[in-house]
Amino acid sequence: MDFDRRDFLRIGAAVTAGAAIGPVASAMTQVEKEGSTARRWGMVIDADKCSADCTVCVDACRTENNVPRFDDPKLDIHWIRKIAFRPKGIEGATERTFPAMCFHCEHPPCAHVCPVAATFVRPDGIVQVDKHRCIGCRYCVIACPYKARSFVAKHVEPKEGDNPKVPSRTHGVVEKCTLCAHRIDQGMQPACVEACQKKATGAMVFSDLNNPDTDASALLRTGRARQLRADLGCEPGVYYMGL
Amino acid sequence: MAKIKYTRIEGRSGGYYAFMAGSALVASLLPISALILFLQGHHVTGMTNQVPWGMPIVMAIYLIGVSAGSLVLSSMSTVFGKTEYKPFARVASMLAVVLIVAGLMAIIMDWGRPDRVLVPFFHFQPRSMFSLNAILYNAYMLIGFLYLVALFRENEVWAKRLGLSAVIIAVGVHSGTGAIFGFVYVRELYNSPLLPPSFIAAALSSGTALMIIVLKYTFDATGRKLDVGYIQGLGKLMGIFILVVLYLIFIENVTRSYAPKNYEASSFLLLHGGKFTFYFWVGLIGVGLVGPAAIVLNSATGSSVRWILAAAWLQLAGVLMERYLIVIPAQILPLELLPGMEITSVFLDGQFATYSVSAVEWMYSIGLFGVVAFAYGLAIRLWPMLPEEAVMQEPPA
Ligand code: SF4
Ligand code: SF4
Repeated sequence: MDFDRRDFLRIGAAVTAGAAIGPVASAMTQVEKEGSTARRWGMVIDADKCSADCTVCVDACRTENNVPRFDDPKLDIHWIRKIAFRPKGIEGATERTFPAMCFHCEHPPCAHVCPVAATFVRPDGIVQVDKHRCIGCRYCVIACPYKARSFVAKHVEPKEGDNPKVPSRTHGVVEKCTLCAHRIDQGMQPACVEACQKKATGAMVFSDLNNPDTDASALLRTGRARQLRADLGCEPGVYYMGL
Repeated sequence: MAKIKYTRIEGRSGGYYAFMAGSALVASLLPISALILFLQGHHVTGMTNQVPWGMPIVMAIYLIGVSAGSLVLSSMSTVFGKTEYKPFARVASMLAVVLIVAGLMAIIMDWGRPDRVLVPFFHFQPRSMFSLNAILYNAYMLIGFLYLVALFRENEVWAKRLGLSAVIIAVGVHSGTGAIFGFVYVRELYNSPLLPPSFIAAALSSGTALMIIVLKYTFDATGRKLDVGYIQGLGKLMGIFILVVLYLIFIENVTRSYAPKNYEASSFLLLHGGKFTFYFWVGLIGVGLVGPAAIVLNSATGSSVRWILAAAWLQLAGVLMERYLIVIPAQILPLELLPGMEITSVFLDGQFATYSVSAVEWMYSIGLFGVVAFAYGLAIRLWPMLPEEAVMQEPPA
């Protein structure tokens, strides 16, 4: 035999080491903190109160979270957007609108598919992306049923007037609505909800869905609020009325 | 069976140097395009927030598939007792290792953050098919490599054990790869329990096609004798695998199309999806599957080496088309946020997305082929992978 056995063994040892480290090391890490404990943050949004030409919530989010515009609809990042809807196949039906963002699902497919657990669920139900861990594989963008995620496909320079309270942006990772966790943690409402309440019609209501004494819980008890695509079983934390 | 004498190729001819220089040149497209992706971001590709997975993922699952197919072929002699194929066990398993490495390169360099390549080794998510596959791919690479070592040492016992483990894990690897898509329950064109088995079937058919091509050209170029019976046998085998692929595609589409809620998805792929419908019927079904199957299963063309070779090329291209049609159209269809409603938004909700392969993605994909060709050329020059001659003792069953 004229091949160099030592060469083979050397490469073999390297491959073995590489393959062995992976599973062992990863098995030791924590995986998912699914299932809320005391609180479950959520929203109820009334489409009947949402006016078609209003973008107050969207603008507030862009300002609060420094969400840039690339002016390219295919690449633009959207944490919250207005969706216009009307029944299929009915001539002349009125078009109505509602805002949609990440619904902070109780069974979030985005977190389930994330290979490195960069997407995780906080104990209070907020689904977060650790942008220092995300490898940018975009599996979560594929798996989210609500189109709530955006991949940052372009470098973004921080600009004058950016809100310093939110982390700066890096390209190559996926991001989405954080439910303004940084505000919630200080006892405030998400920027979109606050803006809707103060500057618009108050179509958005935010609170702890586990607490029966909140506005959102009262709206849920009317029995008129429902989740989008409840059939999928993801249990979104955002409910809609008037759809 | 007489002992097989394996030798390295001479590798001094002008042809060899031209092949190596050519493939090195093509291979260099991969790091160049990967660097562009990393530094510029994915906006230089055809990938968008509507179609986040493009050609790199297509190439990854293609290469991983061909790898699994090669590995199973390599084990035909060691595990399944088809000893007449023993002369090709080494080269097939070497190709399996080269192809899986290339497939992993295709995945990793497409990440937004390929610099975080070690992160998956330290964080694990047991519900993620990607995470599970990372383990499977590593194990597969390792076992494939050890199996190759056992083949080199002519250690029959270990070749059999490792070969069997390799076959089992190859099935796992490909079921897992199919499941990456099959488990995505919100997209009708992904969600299917048939994706894992149909990945395996296409892996086998394309792996066989690659073997036909590689053996024929290498043996001819190095002046080694290759019994035509081998090419004919592999051709028949490929034909049978293709029939299985066709059957699975048929069942999957009929089942999906039966439910009214899937009319839109099915009719998009099968009837009015523009280029995708064309790729499906002409590219995949016609040229990629029925064409080559008809060639190799017809007794006149099925015994002609030229025809079989042509069929193998068609099949290799056909499976690439199949991988493309698995990955892309499912992302073109809009997500149904409010079934029964028409929806629109600035985020292009409710609209059919568009995707076309960008220049960078072409470079990336072609570069991967260059990497495989270069590694193959190098391996047969460095180690005795190929038998001096492949003559059949008895015709294959
Ligand atoms: S809406 Fe999408 S991104 Fe948000 S938690 Fe649910 S699956 Fe994840
Ligand atoms: S893109 Fe990031 S967050 Fe999304 S699945 Fe991949 S690693 Fe996880």
